[in-house]
This record gives sequence, C-alpha cells and structure tokens, in this order.
Amino acid sequence: MDYLVLAVIAGLAAVERKGFLQAMLARPVTLAPIAGLALGDLPGGLLLGPPLELLWLGAVSLGAALPPNEALGAVAIAGGAVLAGRALGTGVTPEVAAICIATVGVFTVLGRRTDGWVEDWNVRFSSRAEALAAAGAPRQAVRENLLGMGLPFAISFVLAPVGAALCAAVAPALLRHRPGSAVPLAVGFAALCGLAAAAGARSFRSRRGLALFLLGAIPTVLVGRWLGVGGAG
Amino acid sequence: MKVPDATLGRVFWRCLFLQAAWNRRGMQNLGFAYAIDPALRRLYPDPERRREALLRHLATFNCHPYTAAAIVGGAIHHEERVAAGEEAAAVPLEFKQVLQGPMAAVGDGFFWAGLRPFFGALAAVGILAVGWPALVVVVLAYNALQLGLRWKLFRAGYRSGDEVVATVAALSLPAWAARLRAAGTVTAGVAVGLLALGARPALGGATGAVSLAAALAAWGALALGARLLPTAYLALALGTGAGALLRLRGGP
Repeated sequence: MDYLVLAVIAGLAAVERKGFLQAMLARPVTLAPIAGLALGDLPGGLLLGPPLELLWLGAVSLGAALPPNEALGAVAIAGGAVLAGRALGTGVTPEVAAICIATVGVFTVLGRRTDGWVEDWNVRFSSRAEALAAAGAPRQAVRENLLGMGLPFAISFVLAPVGAALCAAVAPALLRHRPGSAVPLAVGFAALCGLAAAAGARSFRSRRGLALFLLGAIPTVLVGRWLGVGGAG
Repeated sequence: MKVPDATLGRVFWRCLFLQAAWNRRGMQNLGFAYAIDPALRRLYPDPERRREALLRHLATFNCHPYTAAAIVGGAIHHEERVAAGEEAAAVPLEFKQVLQGPMAAVGDGFFWAGLRPFFGALAAVGILAVGWPALVVVVLAYNALQLGLRWKLFRAGYRSGDEVVATVAALSLPAWAARLRAAGTVTAGVAVGLLALGARPALGGATGAVSLAAALAAWGALALGARLLPTAYLALALGTGAGALLRLRGGP
C-alpha cells in the first residue's frame, strides 16, 4: 500500500511538474514533505525537503532544455528514507537520508532521459490532432493534448516506488551490518547540505554571488550561536 | 462578435494545460490549440472556418508556460477581428510568431530564474526556521502571485492585442528578476546557516562546521565548472570520510 501511495504521488507530481499547473507542488521542498506525510512521517519529509530543494533549485526547463527530474528523485528519496527509517525504528535520520540520496540520486538523471522519450512520444498526439482537425473533428483533435500527460504519469508511477524500494532495502541493511557508519554518514549528510545550499545560491547567477551568500550565512550562524542554537562550530 | 467572459475563463483554465503534450516537433502547439478551442468554437459557428482556425493554431509554438497566457489572450483578440472580417486570417499566427520568443525570454528570466527559485529557497528557510506552516504560506503566496500575473497577462493580451507588450514592459519584470536573484542568493546563505546550526551534533560542533566548509568548497568547485550530481556524490563521500576520521580521533 505504501508503494502504491508513493506511485500515485510521483505520477501526479510528474504531471504537475510540466503538463499541468506548475504550482511548485512538484518541487522537492513540497514533494518530500507530502511523501513523508502520506507515509506517516512528516518530520522525515521535512528533514529532506530543504536540502533537496536547494540542491536542485536550478533544475528548471529553459526553452527546450531538459533539467534533471528533481520530482522523481524527491519522491524516491523521501519515500525510501521514510520506509527505511520505519524498518530501522529510528525514523528518518541524517544517515538514512545520506544513504537514500546516494542510492537513488541518479534517478534524476534517469528521469531526464525518460522526459526526452516523452517528448518524442508526444509527437504522435500532435500528428493525430492535425489529422483529426483536417478531417473536421476539432473537439477530438484538441483532446489529444490531455493524452500527453499519460506517459509521464506512468513512468514516475513505476520508477519512484522502485527507487524507494531500493532505499528501503539498502539503508537498513547497511546500518545494521555496519552500525559504526552512522556517525560518519551523518557528517556526510551535513556536507551534502552545505553543497546543496551553495548549488542553490549559485543557480541564481547573481552578481556578487559569494558575497551575498556569505551575507546570509554568517549573520545566521552568529545569531544562532548567540541564541545557543545547534552545534555549528 | 465578442467572446463571453465565461468562455474566456474556460480558455484561461485550459492555459494551465499548455504543456500537457509538449513534443519535439510542434512543442506547445497542441496545448495552444486545446486552450484556445473554446473561443474558436464561439467565434466560428461555421465548421469549415473553425477547422481553418484550429489548424493555424496547431502550428509550432513555444513560450514560457506562464507568459504564454498573454499570447493566448492576444490571439483571441485577433481571432475576433478575423471572424468579423476586419483582419486577414494570417494575423493571429504572425502575432504568435512575433511575441513567443520575447515573452519566453521574459518568462524564463523572471519566473524560472527569479521568482520560483526565490520562493523555493524561502520555503526551505521557512521549514528550517519555523516548520511546515511556513511551507504552506510560501506555496500559497507563490501561487497567488503566479496565477494573478498569469490572469493579468491573459486579460491584457485579450483587451489590447499587440499592445500587451506595453503592459509587460510596465511590470519591469527583468528589474524584479535581478532583485529576486540577489535576495534568493542571500536566502540560500541563510539556509546553509540554519542547516549548519540544525545539523545533529554527531561530532560536537564539527558537524555544522563541515556543512559550512562543504558549502565554500562546493562553491569553488561549481565555479570551476564541476557538474552538480558528481560533486554531490563527492561531497557525501568526503564528508563521510571526514566523519570517520574525526570519529577515530576521539569523537563519539
């Protein structure tokens, strides 16, 4: 049942991401918490949403260019992390998150490949619409448009649960077999979070980017330390 | 003949499906035809004229999915004149061809490179600082803005046709995009600060320090042209290695 829920979320996200609406509902920052909530672990989704969003902040479709499929990656990673955390009885921890990102991060590249297939596949709907319009069936012709949402839904419906299942198998096995790896992996996740924020900041291509980035980071850390928050060194 | 408001509402709703069948040959052609079809149905009761109108809107089209609303509105503006015999049938197509490139550039620059990533970074900061209610507020605010702008562009296109360019220019979207990019960069900086502060103190204060060091190292690597995903895997591996080393040297 959990995998079916993830499949439906991933399928709908694939449609919302490009075919319909584009209201930020398929962005990782929204999708990871939705996946976590649907599987009964909202905090787990919230742990993953911000770094995944920052990591793929620059993943936008400019012109005919295809970005990595961040929506597919977000559902597979967040869903897999929740299932792995449940199997371990710990919930989604940084080490679980690190393993899941490492395991299925490449799904974003796979998703970009399948997005290209979808664009080729959809040519048939365009051709059919032209033929129907020429034959005097305008209503049927324009409805071909809606059929274009079928394949993206189906691909993500299949791939996201596969990715989540991989995470749910790999993370518990690794952490049970090598419990000593938990702390180093948590540090690895912290490093990934740092990279994600830098990548997100760079995606804005702002002039004086590094200065602005530090303008946000340094006061935040100083104020946080002054307030006694967290463990930044 | 004027297209009724209810039909314009239906066309705007269908604009949200503009990219449903994005394809390599006609790009958004099918989505455009789908969106404008309710208006064509009203304007051309004669099946042959409707067929001709629909075929011209099945020509190749590609634009930003938000700013395309202005072109859909403007195309209806021109189709009303074609239906009334005031303009040649080629005018709506010329209007689309002239405007799709500039409107795509404005939309990509403002929405995709400015507004949405800014709200994405803001949502990330909101979650880190406040929690899920901030995410809901940010997503609602983003959609109020983007849907409001899409509707405004659609109405402006419908009312003024070619003059929609003046409406878009008055919005000063490129200037706003530059401000949003600067604000977004600062917001991402705030995010890394919050991530460092919130990092589980697996190794005392060192975990947060690793986040900050990784951010600076990644900035340098990406500036030198490193690709994102391999760099992410490298950061994960190096961070894990650093964690293992620090742990061997007396951590928990």
